[in-house]
Amino acid sequence: MKQAGSNSETFSLKSRIKRFLRDNNRWSVFTLAIVLFLALPIIFIGVELFAGPGETWSHIVKYLLPEYILNSLFLVFFCSVLVLVFGVSSAWFVSRFEFPMRRQLEWLLILPLAIPSYIVGYAYAGIFDYGGTLDLLFRQWNIEFIRVDIMNRAGLAFVLSISLFPYVYVSARAFFLNQANNLLEASKMLGVSERKTFFKLMLPLARPAIVAGLVLVLMEVLNDYGAAKYYGVNTFTTGIFRSWFSLEEPETAVYLSALLIIIIFALILFEKWQVRKIKFSSSKSNSTQIQRKESSGVQKGLIFIMVFIPVFLGFVLPVAQLLYWAFLTATTVFDLQFLFVSLQSFGIAIISAFITVFFALLLIYFSKWSALRFIKNVARVGVLGYAIPGAVIAIGIMIPTIALDKWIIDVLGQFGVDSGLIINGTLIALFYAYAVRFLAVAYNPIESTSLKVSSSIPDSSKVLGVGNLKTFFKIEFPLIKTGVFSAVILVFIDVMKELPLTLILKPYDIDTLAVKAYEYASDEMVMEASIPSLFIIFTAMVPVIFLNKLLIKK
Amino acid sequence: MLKIDSLSKSFDKGKSYALENVTFDLKVGDVCAIVGESGSGKTTLVRLIAGLERPDSGSILLDGRTIASMNKFVQPEKRKIGLVFQEYALFPHLTILDNVLYGISKLKNKKNRAQEMLDLVGLSEMGKRYPHQLSGGQQQRVALARALAPEPSLLILDEPFSNLDSMLRTQLRNEVFDIIKKTDVTVLFVTHDTQDALSVADEILILQHGKVVQKDAAANLYVKPNTLYVASLFGNTVRINKNIQSAFHCPLNEECCHAIRNEKIKVNPAAMDSDCDYITNAQVMKKIVLGDSIQLLLKLDSGEQLTVMTQDTNIADTITIGFNSKDILQFNE
Repeated sequence: MKQAGSNSETFSLKSRIKRFLRDNNRWSVFTLAIVLFLALPIIFIGVELFAGPGETWSHIVKYLLPEYILNSLFLVFFCSVLVLVFGVSSAWFVSRFEFPMRRQLEWLLILPLAIPSYIVGYAYAGIFDYGGTLDLLFRQWNIEFIRVDIMNRAGLAFVLSISLFPYVYVSARAFFLNQANNLLEASKMLGVSERKTFFKLMLPLARPAIVAGLVLVLMEVLNDYGAAKYYGVNTFTTGIFRSWFSLEEPETAVYLSALLIIIIFALILFEKWQVRKIKFSSSKSNSTQIQRKESSGVQKGLIFIMVFIPVFLGFVLPVAQLLYWAFLTATTVFDLQFLFVSLQSFGIAIISAFITVFFALLLIYFSKWSALRFIKNVARVGVLGYAIPGAVIAIGIMIPTIALDKWIIDVLGQFGVDSGLIINGTLIALFYAYAVRFLAVAYNPIESTSLKVSSSIPDSSKVLGVGNLKTFFKIEFPLIKTGVFSAVILVFIDVMKELPLTLILKPYDIDTLAVKAYEYASDEMVMEASIPSLFIIFTAMVPVIFLNKLLIKK
Repeated sequence: MLKIDSLSKSFDKGKSYALENVTFDLKVGDVCAIVGESGSGKTTLVRLIAGLERPDSGSILLDGRTIASMNKFVQPEKRKIGLVFQEYALFPHLTILDNVLYGISKLKNKKNRAQEMLDLVGLSEMGKRYPHQLSGGQQQRVALARALAPEPSLLILDEPFSNLDSMLRTQLRNEVFDIIKKTDVTVLFVTHDTQDALSVADEILILQHGKVVQKDAAANLYVKPNTLYVASLFGNTVRINKNIQSAFHCPLNEECCHAIRNEKIKVNPAAMDSDCDYITNAQVMKKIVLGDSIQLLLKLDSGEQLTVMTQDTNIADTITIGFNSKDILQFNE
């Protein structure tokens, strides 16, 4: 047996401190500073809690909070069920069976992600509404219309599920395609039936991947404002908006935000616990591709229908409804001002994409250059913004910036300068908020491409006498370009679609397409909302298809 | 020129050590091989010397200058050590010439120097190509040219031949060391293959579980190994335990560990001459013909099993085997 720690001095406190002094460098400090900067909105929410709740808080706790909690639980539960059914079944069929149009459906299943859930919500409301599309069709065919009311929490759960299931589809498919083949073959060799293989082997093995996708879905469910508002369902997010805008009680918004954060962290812990229980999923990816099964004609037809249903409900139907509306309203909505809003929207999305990617690069590489090992875990804390609902981040930024602006006005006022609001209500706050919220969207693709570059490549650059920064620009950046590029596109799409955070933080004279669609819908002009919605969908669709091609190539 | 003093590194805060109290030094112009199994700490040692890891205790001196200790750490880019990685680590987006130029961009006549290096490794015409257009052996030589271009005082080769099959390996090993001999650089050469080490190194350092077991000239390691492990690295070795002692009637000092190399055990020694002090009978359990020699699996009277090699094709079911007492290896374990 090896005697561990035969020189006991090595890990004494004194030696540890000595090494810490030797190893701490500016990169460690920079990493900490960036993480702190990104965590500030959350920290402020925590700090504001000590200021006590607002006047209406006790009223909210008594009459509204039970409803918020009940509705949120309802949504979390039913969305989970629906999303698992749509996501896992389509992923399994697509990766295990051969059927007509499989290749096309494989990427069509991702497209619902191009439509923000509130827009899917508007479309479905239009389809099922009294005097809506279905109503008209039925009347034309002289059939009595049995009206289904979907403007409630059940309808909302359906709308959110059908627009968010691709998160589960993508991660389950990745597992089935890359990791499952040798296990599947082993199961076949043992003579186990297809059904039993799926339920006894594949499903339990895919659980960590599926849960990871599911947690993303639930974060989006809790983040949603637009759809819940339109469907009249009171959730935490609508509660935050109400206490901020209608009640004008920031303290109450802060308390609701804090509660929501607790729920989200419970979700994250649930995921960690699920993944910890099953470590086997981390086995090396298998290079052999899964063998697809050819089945009989009837079966093929059935599978095609099963896979087509989520595509139809999540993409074809809502887009058709929107196109129909767009056809009716094109002449009134299309004008110079609309063009201007589109350009603003693009501009904001592009700038924030670059800012966010820049922060992600700083965080990834600074923590890599830091010689302290715990800094790498610290860097990951900066990514947590993705879990925090946009409305909460907005509140966490709004409160300190108002205070900061007041202070600046006071200080500059003493010199007789009237500065006005510098941060609050300006694009600076908005860009900052997007960076906090979407850092993970940029961080993950960049990190995974940078992990594909063998560490001996930058190492050999350093041994050849070239420092960290120069090594980055000359060696690493050229090798991770595709990752950086896809990060920019992904953040761009997310900013284009973002609603709650933008509504709270945007300067009053600036509009985005998402805000425009929301405003039309809230002003009972949901038909007019179709054109900005379609603009968002098409700008998001092109990169989604493009990125998926990239992913398939890899 | 390189002086390493009680160097330790742990990756789990002292629960186990990848490297523990390693001490040795190299003189200018030495070619030293570090031999050890995977997990013995070879790569950790190399990365510590190159500055890619930081030691938990101990120190490293290069040319009389401390480059790593408890309170000092010189960045790898300031150490002027040449390192050839196991997987070559050529920059895939740069041409061969640019790869070689990379470390000497501040040099005045860098173009000449780079071309000189490519000439040295016999790739004069390949400068404009990209790494993926070259064979494994050629990439290896580019990596060598790139490492040698800045004229490092110490060149480290980390398992440079482990990705190659055995035929190519011998050829490339000779090529690489012919090139290195022309430059009189001090070399630290990491390998898990004793043949590699024996054929090129003046001195060999054996690492086991993160500790130095022996550092000696190549010839001495075969004749006078420190431990049974070292002995078995240079050929199959059998421990002479109680059962074998009783079979051969050779009582040995019980406080030491004794062993004999299988190749020193003679089959049917001629006429019981003076060559073998200890003799015993053995049953042949199995014969395996390996080309021109035969491997015999034997069972001794005491029940012990033993393998020996012989050239003799005429083997009866029971044979005599014996060895000379001067071939017995003795360790204090």
